[in-house]
This record gives sequence, C-alpha cells and structure tokens, in this order.
Amino acid sequence: MQPEQQGLEVAVLVSVGRHPITGRARRAEQDARGVELALTLASELPGTRINVLHAGQQDINSEVALRGYLGMGLNSLTLLEQPEGSDAIAALAAYLTKALPPLVLTGTRAECGEGSGLLPYALAERLGWPLVNGLAAVETIENGVVTLLQALPRGQRRRLKVRLPAIVSVDEAGPVARQSAFGPARRAKFIVTSAIHEPDRELTQWHLAPARKRPKRLKIVKAASARDRFKAAASKAGGKSGQVLSDVTPEQGAVAILKLLEEEDVLR
Amino acid sequence: MLETLLPILIFSALALAALGASRRVRLWRQGRPSSVPILKGLAAMPRRYLVDLHHVVGRDKVMSNTHVATAGGFVAAAVLMILVHGLGLGSSESMGPILGGLLLAASAAMFVGSRFVARRRRNPPARLSRGPWMRLPRSLMAFSGGVFLATLPTLGLLPDDFGSGVLALMLAAVVVWGLGEMVFGMTWGGPMKHAFAGALHLAFHRRPERFSSKQGGRRSTGLKALDLDDETAPLGVGTPSDFTWNQLLGFDACVQCGRCEAVCPAFAAGQPLNPKKLIQDMVVGLSGGSDASYTGSPHPGKPVGEHYGTPYGPIVGLAGQALVDAETLWSCTTCRACVEECPMMIEHVDAIVDMRRHLTLERGQTPNKGAGVLDNLIATDNPGGFDPGSRLHWAADLNLPLMADVKQAEVLLWLGDGAFDMRNQRTLRALVKVLRVAEVEFAVLGTEERDSGDVARRLGDEATFQRLARRNIATLSKYRFQRIVTCDPHSFHVLGNEYGELAEPGIPAQYEVRHHSTFIAELYDAGRLAFAPWKGGRVTYHDPCYLGRYNGEYEAPRRVLKALGIELKEMERSGFRSRCCGGGGGAPITDIPGERRIPDMRMNDVKESGAGLVAVGCPQCTAMLEGVVDASAEVRDIAELVADALVEPPSVNATGSPREPVVKATAEEVL
Amino acid sequence: MSEIRRRDPRREWIARNRLHPEHASVLAALDGIEGGGATSEWLGPSGVIRKNPRAVGFIGPSGIKRIDRSGLQSGSQPTVSAMAVSGDSRRAVNIAEPAFLVAVVPDLIGGRLSAHDKDMLGLARRLADVDVGRPGAVVAILFCEHKEEALGEVGIDKVLHFNEAIYAGFAPEVRLAALTTVERELAPRYWLFPDSPLGGADLGRRLALRLNERPATGVWQIEADNEALLGWRCTARGAAGSLDIQRPLPRFVLALAECAEPVDETRHAAERLSIAGVTPTTLSRIEDLGQVAVDPAGVALAEAEFILSGGNGVKNWDAFHHAAKVLGATEGASRVAVDDGFMTRDRQVGATGTWVTARVYLAVGISGAIQHLQGIQRCDKVVAINLDPGCDMIKRADLAVIGDSAEILAALVGMVEQRRGGQRDAA
Repeated sequence: MQPEQQGLEVAVLVSVGRHPITGRARRAEQDARGVELALTLASELPGTRINVLHAGQQDINSEVALRGYLGMGLNSLTLLEQPEGSDAIAALAAYLTKALPPLVLTGTRAECGEGSGLLPYALAERLGWPLVNGLAAVETIENGVVTLLQALPRGQRRRLKVRLPAIVSVDEAGPVARQSAFGPARRAKFIVTSAIHEPDRELTQWHLAPARKRPKRLKIVKAASARDRFKAAASKAGGKSGQVLSDVTPEQGAVAILKLLEEEDVLR
Repeated sequence: MLETLLPILIFSALALAALGASRRVRLWRQGRPSSVPILKGLAAMPRRYLVDLHHVVGRDKVMSNTHVATAGGFVAAAVLMILVHGLGLGSSESMGPILGGLLLAASAAMFVGSRFVARRRRNPPARLSRGPWMRLPRSLMAFSGGVFLATLPTLGLLPDDFGSGVLALMLAAVVVWGLGEMVFGMTWGGPMKHAFAGALHLAFHRRPERFSSKQGGRRSTGLKALDLDDETAPLGVGTPSDFTWNQLLGFDACVQCGRCEAVCPAFAAGQPLNPKKLIQDMVVGLSGGSDASYTGSPHPGKPVGEHYGTPYGPIVGLAGQALVDAETLWSCTTCRACVEECPMMIEHVDAIVDMRRHLTLERGQTPNKGAGVLDNLIATDNPGGFDPGSRLHWAADLNLPLMADVKQAEVLLWLGDGAFDMRNQRTLRALVKVLRVAEVEFAVLGTEERDSGDVARRLGDEATFQRLARRNIATLSKYRFQRIVTCDPHSFHVLGNEYGELAEPGIPAQYEVRHHSTFIAELYDAGRLAFAPWKGGRVTYHDPCYLGRYNGEYEAPRRVLKALGIELKEMERSGFRSRCCGGGGGAPITDIPGERRIPDMRMNDVKESGAGLVAVGCPQCTAMLEGVVDASAEVRDIAELVADALVEPPSVNATGSPREPVVKATAEEVL
Repeated sequence: MSEIRRRDPRREWIARNRLHPEHASVLAALDGIEGGGATSEWLGPSGVIRKNPRAVGFIGPSGIKRIDRSGLQSGSQPTVSAMAVSGDSRRAVNIAEPAFLVAVVPDLIGGRLSAHDKDMLGLARRLADVDVGRPGAVVAILFCEHKEEALGEVGIDKVLHFNEAIYAGFAPEVRLAALTTVERELAPRYWLFPDSPLGGADLGRRLALRLNERPATGVWQIEADNEALLGWRCTARGAAGSLDIQRPLPRFVLALAECAEPVDETRHAAERLSIAGVTPTTLSRIEDLGQVAVDPAGVALAEAEFILSGGNGVKNWDAFHHAAKVLGATEGASRVAVDDGFMTRDRQVGATGTWVTARVYLAVGISGAIQHLQGIQRCDKVVAINLDPGCDMIKRADLAVIGDSAEILAALVGMVEQRRGGQRDAA
C-alpha cells in the first residue's frame, strides 16, 4: 500500500454493545470490527490517526464497554457526553462537520436501543458524503479515493472505489476484532466534551418489550380437498425422524442427497 | 614452591569469585523487589538443602549418593583447603595433621563422587546438557585430586621437596584448573554456578512455605495474585527484569539436569516447550546475549541460536523473535510435573503464568480460542459462552436443593463448568445419586455459581480471574456450609488454594474443599455407602494433576476404587509422576500444535497397563481421554463407578439410622 | 384425459348394482378411467362378490399402501388434476383505478424474486387490499434484467422497470435518484423494502433519509390499528434482535423475511408502467469495479450456510476438497480430522470448535461425538454419509446414507457437475 496521504485521519464511531445472552455491556461486535479495520489500516499506513468517537452517557456500564475498544490498543476515546435517550446522530454530525475526518468507519447497527441501523445513513445524508455498507477490507487510499472490498453474501467480495470523505459501515463480514487487553484499556484516557442534547421523542412513545420468539411459518398447503391437506400434513409429520438409506448403491445415495440439497436450495 | 603458590592461588580465586558473586548479585537485582526474610532464609537454608532438596534428589539413589559425596566432599574440602593451605594452618603442629587428614578424606570422597559423575557422563541421557557440563567431572577430579596431592606434602606423606620442580608446577596447574572451575566458575557462570545460586535460591525462595519445617511442610501450589489496584505495577512479566529478583536467582540455580524435560508432557508431545531450555532462556535474558551457548535439547522444532534477549528487552518479540516464542509459553499445561521433579525447586509454572499474564493483559495476544474464551468468561461467567441461566438445566429432573432456598447445608456441591458439558453431566448426575444415597445434606448454588476462574488465570487473565473469584466469594459468603465438594479438581484447587489471597476484611475466603473422591471415601469409611462387588475387567487410575500434584490427594481415589473391589493396575507414571492428560492450563484452548497429542500418549500409558477401563476424577481428563480415537480403554469418572455399584447400605434395613457410623464389617463383607 | 370429469349416472348405477348384466364390463371401464389396471371387484362363480385388495389403494406418503374407502379411490392422479383446477381458479385481479400505491423494491437476487421478496409483496398486498371497495395497487420497482415471467402471480399490479446498465451492480446513488423520481411522480402511500443486507436494507434506508422520513426497520408483523396515522401498527425487531418495538406503521417499511404470507390466490395484472423525468446522475462518487474471486474455503464456518464436514472416515482428502469446491460448500471437520492434521483448527466444528448454523450440514465419515453433535445443534438439515449404521451421527441425521463415503461423494460430485453443465448450456 502506498502511503499517498501522510496523516490520514480515520474516525471510528463506537457504541455500547450488549451481549446477546446475558445483556451485559460490552464492545459492540460490528463497531469493534470497525476499530480493528482502522487499527489494521494504521499499521499499514504510517501516520494514520485513529479517533474513536462515542456519543452517549458516561456511566459504569458504558465505561466497561468503551474500555473494551480502548484495550485493542488505543490511547484515547472522544466521548460526546449526552444524557440517556438523546439522539446520537445530531451530536455526531455536529462533531464530524467540525473535525472533517476523511474516512468514518462505523458499525452497521447498534446492539442497544432501536438498533435500526439508520445512523450511518443519517450521517451520510446530513454530511452529504457517500456511504458504503458491508465493508470487508480497505485495499488502498490514494489521491483521496479509497479502494475497498464490500462483503456480499456467502463470503463473496465486490471491489469499490469511493471518493473521500466517506462513511463506511462494517457488519459481521468485517475482520474479527482483536482481543481487548486489560492493561491498555485501563491506561487509556477519555476525552469528554459535552454535546447537543436532542431527545429522541418518537422512541419514547413506542412500546419496547423483550423480543418474542417469532412463530415458525407453517407449511400451508392450499389443497382442493381435505384428503390432500391431510396427505400434506401426514407427509410433514413423517419427516420428523431421519431417513436412513442402507444397502443402496453410491449413485442412489447421491441422488437422495442431491434431492435434499436442491430442496434446501444450497447448490448454486 | 607449592606452599607459597597455593595461598596466592586460593585467595586470588576467592577474590575473583567474590567479584563474580557481586556481579551475579547485581544481575539478579535487576529484577523487581520481593520481600523475603534474608536472615531467616539464610538460617533455614541448610535444612532446606539437606531435607527438602535431598528428598527430591533422593528419588534417584545413585545420583543422590553421588551428589552427597561430591558436594559434601567439595564443601568440606574447600573450607579445609582455605584453612590448611590458604591460612597455613597445615603447618601448625597441633591442628595440621588433623585438618590435613580431614582434607585428604574430604577430597578423596569428592574424588570418588566425581568418578560417579564421570561414569554418568560417559553415555549421558538426552535430558542432560553437554558442553561445559561434559568437562565438569574432569574438573571435579582435577580439584579433588589436585588438592589431595597438594596436601600430601603438608602432612609429610610426601617429601617436602616434592613441592618444587616440574611436578609441582604440573600439580599447581591442576589445582588452578580445579579452583578455576569450582571457585571462579561458581560465580562467573560455569556449571558450578548452580551451587552458589542454588544455595541462595533455597534461602530466598519465593515460596518459603513449600519447605518442610519442624511443624511439617505443606504444599504451596496456588498462583500468586497480581495487585491490580496499583496502576503502576507491571501486569505480568514482559522483560526478564520484570521477574522478582528471587525468581531470577531461581532460574540461575538451574543445574540443567533435565528432569523437568523428561517429565514434561508438552515436550514429549513435540510441542515447542522444553522447561529446562525455558529456564536457560531466562538466564540468557538475565545477562543478555544469545542462546547459542545452550547445549541441551532445544524446544522441539525451535533450533538453538536464533533467540536472543536482554534484561530489559522483551521476552516475547513484538515482531519476530526475541528470547522465547509465544507458542513455547502457551504449550504448557501447568501440570506442575517439572516443578515436582526439579531438584532445585525452581517454579517453572509461576514463571510461565507470569509471562502469559503479560501477553494477555498487556498485549491481548492469547492465542487461538483464548480470546474468545476470555470474552465468554467476562460476558457469561463460563468459558463456553452458554446462557448462565441454563447452568442447572441438566438437573431439571433432579430437584436439587438451592442454596438460595435453604441458606445453609452441610455440603455445598460445586458443579463447575462441567455443568454445561453433556459428558460431565453424567458424572454430576452420578455424584448427586451417590450423595442422595448417602443421605448427605447438600445444596448447590445453581445459577449463582460462576466459573471458578481457573482457566482465566492460567491463560494469564488475572483481571477476569479476580473478578470471577470476588463474585464467587461474595456469593459463598451469603451461605453457611461446612465444606465444599466438587468433582472438578481445577475448581477444587482454585477455591481451596487461590481464593484465600483475595479475601477482604469481613469476608473470609478460606474454605474446606473436598474432591468428590475424598468425600466418597469419607462417606464409605463412615459406612454410609455400600457397593456391589466389582465385576468388570482391569482398571487403572489416572491421577489428575490438579488433584495429585497440586493438592497431594493420591490416596482417596485409590481407596474408593479399592472399596469398589477393584484391584488397580497402576500405570508406570502414576501418583506424583502421573502424566498430564493435556487438558490443564488452557492448553486445549490455546492449542499449540505438536507432533503427537498428549491425551493419545496418556491413553497409550493406559493401554500398556493392560487395563480396559481408566478411572478418572476430573472433567478435563474425562474430556481429553475420551477424545482419543480408537482408544483401548473406557473412561469413567469415579463418581460414575461408585453410582453404578451402589447397593442399599445394609445398615438402613438393620437399624434404620444410616447416619450412625456403621460397622466396619459391612465394608469388609462387600470387599 | 380431459380435465373436466363428466358423470354418467347410469354407469355409476350399474357399477353399484352387482346384479346388473353389464356390471362387470362397466366396472372394468370405470377402472380404466381411474387408472387401475386389474379389476378389483367381480362376481365370483358362486355368486359371491370377490374383491382383490391388491388392485385397490395407493402408496401413501410414508411408503405404506393405503386403501381409501371414501369411494374416491386414487393415487396421485386426481390430486394433479385438482391442483390444476385450483390453479385455474386463481382469481384474476385488475385494479384499474387504484386508490393509492404501495411501492415495493424487491432485491431480485440473481434476477429472481427471493422468498423474502415474495413475502414483501404479500405484505404490500395486505396494505393495498385493506379496503376491498377501494383497493390500492402494488407497484414493483425493478432494477436491471430479471428472469421472472409471472410477476402478476406474486401480487404485482404495476411494474416499473429500470433496465439501463447504470443501475447494475452496486449503484446506490443512481438507484436512489430513480426512486426519488418515483416518489415525486407517483407519491406512493407506502414504500416497502426487504430488510436484507446489501439489498433493501441499504437502499431503503438511503431513500427514507433522503426523503427525511424515519423508517420502521426489522418489521416482522403488522396489525390493523385505527389509532395509528396510517391505520396500521407494526412490530419490529430492535437492538440486534433482542427487542420488539411496537409503533405505528410509518410510510417507509423495511421488513424481515416471513413478515407476511406470499400471494397465491390471486393473479394480478403486472401492467408495465413508465414514468418520465428520470435523469440518472452520471456523477457518482462510488464506482463498482466488479466482483472479486473468493475461495469458498475461506468463508467463516459460523456464517456458512452449507458445510461439507469431514471426519475420521474420510480417507481421500483431495477428493473431499474437490467435492467441497464443486458443491460450493464451506469445509468443516471433526476434531479428529483436525488433530490428525488434515484440516486446520479454525475448520473444527463442535462444542470445542466452532458452533455452526448451517442450513445443510453434510457430515462425511463423522461418527458424531457428543461435542460435535452439540456444535451442530442449530443446523437445519443434517445429512450423514457413514459406513457405520449405528453411529450417533446417523441418529441425528435427517438423511443418512450408509456406504463408502468416497464413492457416494464422487457420485454426488458427478451429478452436480452434470447438472451445472446442463444449466450452463441452457443459459
């Protein structure tokens, strides 16, 4: 990689994550991958400055989570302090308009709150910057243009060229975040600035509840007669225990497997 | 001529030695401070040497006697030599003959000893280092022989004019050789360094409690806690100078006998760890330089001469090689076989965990699944990342009493993380059955229980360990119980030996912990259990490291098996020499590749014993040994064997009061 | 055979009347129609009616012969005709004067409507058909070439097709420009996108924010609600799937798969629509350089949806790797295979390796240690190829083939290659 622009600044937006099982605060999976991308970029492009940004409240929980990012090897984190329930978009947009980092990395969606995944889009819209989602890797940064790989389903990749400044969001396809170490996490500093407080009024009017298990879709059989419906239902029930083919030729076995693969539509 | 030459030689050698000693001490003092009682340690040193060290050395009788003759002879000869030749007491009328005679005897004994040393060096086993060590027997003989011959004229056994001329010069040369190796080399880094450093190491050992005293010795196997509240204290050991000075001294005491290498499971499996080399690497780091002069077996797969370091440089390179490769540190299973075997009582495992702490806490470089396991421990309190609320799901039908409900119980059953493992759940069910039959009043913590912190600590994550431990201590402090029983020796060790240090004022953390085999043995002895006679085939028993070497419990499991009517076929390596299953110290998590797998080797040991069933007492061992493909033996936990053999205790029918200590006859009948 | 079944009451009467002189011949004729060969009922020489139970009945779904005494003795044949009849009976709907429009932007992955797209269209229909008297029309906005022929059958009333090359690949800016034009020209009441990464999830959020609206994301259920502004209330997943958010349904909806039943009872017009004023911006700050070749073996195990996993029973690893390549499967391995050095550690499946969530898990020569079975708990379909019919993997498997894994795998590879070849020719 050719260091075209010495001293590129990368801003990484991080949020307070939530463990899916225990609900404990932690570094958010996607945001941590964003930090990982930035750190990799910094090691390849000397002079890259990483500015990790978080807009939110400072309390014990958020501190644990944010130090999780710092333990990946960062010296400091900029905290735009706002009371709980504030809209982070306004604060971040205000900060980014002033700081104007050429590259902003962010997770795709938060693990707490609405988690709608709108933030990167809202920022891009407000700042008028291009946005690319599903970042897998940054290849080069030259002449204010970043070449990157976008993740497609099933591990496929697409190469994109994006003019900077840009916002790039990272999802589960990004590189796995490195381990967060206790020592660096403990030593790193928070740079706290207070930010605009714009409460998210709409969110407060919604009804939030722990996720219910979604009903599994039934295989509805539209059949003309009761007989056909019965038949369809019976054949479903019959599929409960596994089918064992013994004493078959390899070809017969392969046909049966192929049939299942086609039914499941995994062959492409 | 000799009479004038000898004092000069002796005192110049002593002066040089003193200079070397001060240099050596300076090297050790590069380490961090450690408060050790200096005078008390020095006073305890002879006893530690004569009793504890020789207890270890004495496992090899020939070597032990050789060492007694050589070392004893040398110490006596050296002191007498200074008196006789150095201070000229040999020419005094009254003392001369006696001292001279003693000197002759001492050097003769030393000479005999060094003959034995020479004999072992003729065809040395692979574990011994070569290089300067190969000349040691000759040097020993030169010293003892030279001193012997030089003393003869003093005693008038040879003509006085023998002390002049060519012969005398040759003799002087021999004595110079001997003195050079034995006195000068002792402090300047020759093979004899072990005597100087070793003596001081025994005096200032970091675990003084390991040594026997008149009250009797006790085990000291728990890792020492890091002070995490002090933000300036280093987190683990990143450079050789991060070790405490007495740890550095301990490394310097290594005599390169290679006993650790011979017992190390990782070394045998071809993983890149040789405990002896590791200690020597630390010695290289202590003085700075390359490991090219090391002459023993290398870390498997790592050629000698490529690593180098300095006292203040990194031990594990940030990029590329430094003193030690990270894989070497992560190969260790913390089985403590090396520590158990080390005649110098060097603490290898402490050092390895110290260095791992740096890698994990400072660099975040826990290899392979390590980082994920630590994240799981932080987020879910168990290494598998399971829902902590499902810890008791396996026992949904057992209706286990919860501590939260009963508040107090005779026995607190500590389940361990095996509660999430389908295999270990069978063991737990068996144990619950046994406890129910014996009518033990027990309760479990249920979902309040957390991982004991064992894995986190061995992976170097002291912060997570302390967090888990403190929460467990807080939970335990809410309830009243007499003892903790667990079928996991790792939890057993951590709860029993490592929580104590974390006690806070008002919340003691000293628990009476029993391994389930110990507890079952007690129940059996009390007549609360009765067993049907054993009908199976041959059985052997695998000692879990954390039960045996860490906690000294070798007897109770064997007693239980005997009570079951099983006659054990012991494996060649059993008891304190038991070979690790490969499951400790987070080794399955860090998963450093080798040429073989440790559990495969252990199952081979089982096969060689001819047993068709191996009894174990640890979920890790069960998992590791059961994971061996095409194994010749079945793996069963002791609890399972006991549960299968349970019969109604006759006393229940006879007296109706099972709690009464029952007649020994019952037990014998069953046997 | 004709689709319409004509009844002949006389013949039926004769068939019922065993004493009728023409009984046997009519019965035989009827049987011929029904598809059965041999006569199943006849008058024996002693005047007693004889029945041949082997000539009646059909093979049931579980492979057991069933005899249907309802009179409609048949196998699969009538079902087919019944289906065809019901196919014909789908109500044709043509909404000439829609009260409002519901815009749907399907993903069209590979030029086809995905199941997710069809669910979205089902949802769109629910929104459009709320008032039977004054139905709305569903407008599907399609980008690029597609291979769907029967767009009307999935509930599309109007089709707006942007077929220019500039919309191909990753072109969010031009697509956004086109959609804003649609908004300006048609002003649909709702905009519906599938909330699928790299598809509607991206485009939908862009459009909503461009139009300064707050969309509902992760919607999986809608209910009528008179208090809400648009008459609907929706339930959406939030906070990484851990929350259910109930809120009034906004104009912009990004919905999850299975948010509604796909349309299958009506047939719509799928009338082509075109709008003026679409001026694709050529000035794009994002340039698509095309797809990059990726090794399927490099896909992370936990994400893979189709895993070919090898264990101790695999002897020919080259063939195994080849099979994985042909099937397009991500490779997995049992612990033993990893320990023996045939696969790397990051490919290990199981409690001590990676917990996988594949839809299809094809286990070759894996006997199924507890830890391994634990690791594949969340797989939908498990297929096992093994020599040992008694092993635990067979018990777990939905389909198990007992036999030599190398041969079966080779046969499977052959068939897939053949199938691929055929498809390529057709395309």
